[in-house]
Amino acid sequence: MNWFLSWISGAILYAAPILFPTLGEVVEQRTGMVNLGLEGLMLLGASVGFSVSFVTRNAWLGVLAAAGVGLVANLIYAGLVVHRRAHQLAAGLALMFFGIGMSALIGKPYVGQMAPGLPKYALAGSQSLLFRYDPLVYLAFLLAPLLWFLLFRTRFGLWLRAVGESPAIAYAAGVSPNAVRYFAAALAGTLAAVGGAHLSLGITGTWSEGMTAGRGFIAIALVIFSRWNPLRAIAGALLFGGAVVLQLQLQAQGVGISPFFLDMLPYVLTLLVLLVWGRGVRHVAPASLGRVYFGTE
Amino acid sequence: MKRAWLGLAVLAFGWAAVAQPCLVVGMIIGGTKDDAGYNQSQYEALMALKAKMPCVEILFAENVPAGEAEAVLENMILQGAKLLFPAGFAYMFPALNVAKRHPDVIFMHPGGYMLANNFGTYFSNVQFAYYLLGVAAGLMTKTNKLGFVGGMPTAFVLGNCNAFHLGARAVNPNVTTYFVVTGAWLDRAKEVAATQALIQQGCDVIGSHLDSPIALAQTCCEAGVFFVGYPSLAVQKFCPEYWLTGLGLTWGDFFVEIAQQVLAGTWKPAHIRRGLEAGFLTLGEFGPKVPEEVKRVVLEYKEKLARGELQPFAGPIRDQAGNVRIPEGTAWGPLDMGKFDWLAEGIVGSPK
Repeated sequence: MNWFLSWISGAILYAAPILFPTLGEVVEQRTGMVNLGLEGLMLLGASVGFSVSFVTRNAWLGVLAAAGVGLVANLIYAGLVVHRRAHQLAAGLALMFFGIGMSALIGKPYVGQMAPGLPKYALAGSQSLLFRYDPLVYLAFLLAPLLWFLLFRTRFGLWLRAVGESPAIAYAAGVSPNAVRYFAAALAGTLAAVGGAHLSLGITGTWSEGMTAGRGFIAIALVIFSRWNPLRAIAGALLFGGAVVLQLQLQAQGVGISPFFLDMLPYVLTLLVLLVWGRGVRHVAPASLGRVYFGTE
Repeated sequence: MKRAWLGLAVLAFGWAAVAQPCLVVGMIIGGTKDDAGYNQSQYEALMALKAKMPCVEILFAENVPAGEAEAVLENMILQGAKLLFPAGFAYMFPALNVAKRHPDVIFMHPGGYMLANNFGTYFSNVQFAYYLLGVAAGLMTKTNKLGFVGGMPTAFVLGNCNAFHLGARAVNPNVTTYFVVTGAWLDRAKEVAATQALIQQGCDVIGSHLDSPIALAQTCCEAGVFFVGYPSLAVQKFCPEYWLTGLGLTWGDFFVEIAQQVLAGTWKPAHIRRGLEAGFLTLGEFGPKVPEEVKRVVLEYKEKLARGELQPFAGPIRDQAGNVRIPEGTAWGPLDMGKFDWLAEGIVGSPK
């Protein structure tokens, strides 16, 4: 039982840094933009967050700075694909490599340094070391239902989804597809960078190059896994966080299971989801996903 | 104006002629030089060489992927390098290729198994000294459960875990060691999760073999459990309170020795493996919570190890299944360390 509790506790903690970028990408893809740059945005967030926390001795300023930089960086991406009508996948990959390089450059002086981390608060009733999280973990799990509400229960959410299905029709209905896409990109950039900052300031308390270790890509896989639904994204992120923690805990208990096999699991699940739902009636991918919108005359 | 430039050029030329270095030494590393781990150890040895032989000129590049190593090494040779340290295991074959093209340049590679006329290797006998960290851990543990976090399940990682466990068992026969692999040399988030899993298992002293155990140290501090440091003593500052002791890779004097051999033309290719006694390793200072009695016992073991009276891998040693791996009357030496594909009796975890 104790073992089970510590597994759940760990799964929640390691779900958070992946839930942030997944939620952002869900919203962004709902407006028709595929962003492969999440990994770069997360790294930027991790590096900027850590550096600013180191310099100002305030972890919250670090999170804020990360959010700001993520927002700006992803607006560059949105500018490319919305305004300059660039290919989304190419622009996303460019953003990723930019993020990898830029984060290394910014974080260089802070490798092997100590910066203030985020404070931790126990979930109600928890006395032990378990279920003690920094506020970003609570924020991640609060954001999911909020974004679900925004997407599926508000007029603005309808606009977001309409742009993703058919920008031309949305335009005819009086919505500006470009404005909506810029908004979604700003939100997604902010969230991805905060997810990265959570890794450096919330979980590890350090910065090292490439420390996201592919989590940005797992997030993209989880968007498909969750079928563009913020609530199902929680399940996906928990599954991933749970797999990481379970594997290490099983090892600590002498159950041999390959860490490489479990690293592969989120992608296998995504492939399975595509296999099962790929061509079915319940296929919910936004109809204009990845398409360039050339405007409506 | 023209005359001023001319004067400057003459000055520069004169300076260059005067400041001709006695030897140009190059090093590439795969990570960053401040990682409080493996890469920092290599870099500090290079800086120690520079400090002791000021006439040496240093060329240095960090974050060099193995795929680009050849180009960077070639570039260093273009700049006059005559001694190169491709200081990462993954550089073995790229560096060997470059070595074949430049028979007049000496290469020293850490931990590899390849030799050539101008290509030698060096490393510390870490496993033997890691035994001492186990002695300290065995004396300090209250729960009789030790944890060990490895990056990859390689022979050297398994050897260090075995040494840690055997050292602890030597002073505390009730010890069980829990072994966990993260699957990467550097994935800080996973290292935190692995350390937490061990702590929840009841482990109260954590050992490790990672590129840089910074996050592990911080996790131990948060939970109030002890840890031992490796491969750089610099990790102590990340949690001084719960630091027991550690093991640093210290090659400064050895680099000086090699540079002098290269200058004198007496350098010979060899697999050089030395330990604490030769300064290839340094046992760290003890943390504030370590009692005098524990310090005394650990230092006693260190003396015995240095005098050769202590053989950490002397048989009989059984593996997890109870099979005798090192028979009675024999002992594994430095050249056997690559042979570990098993974990000793009393270790929980998988060697694969």
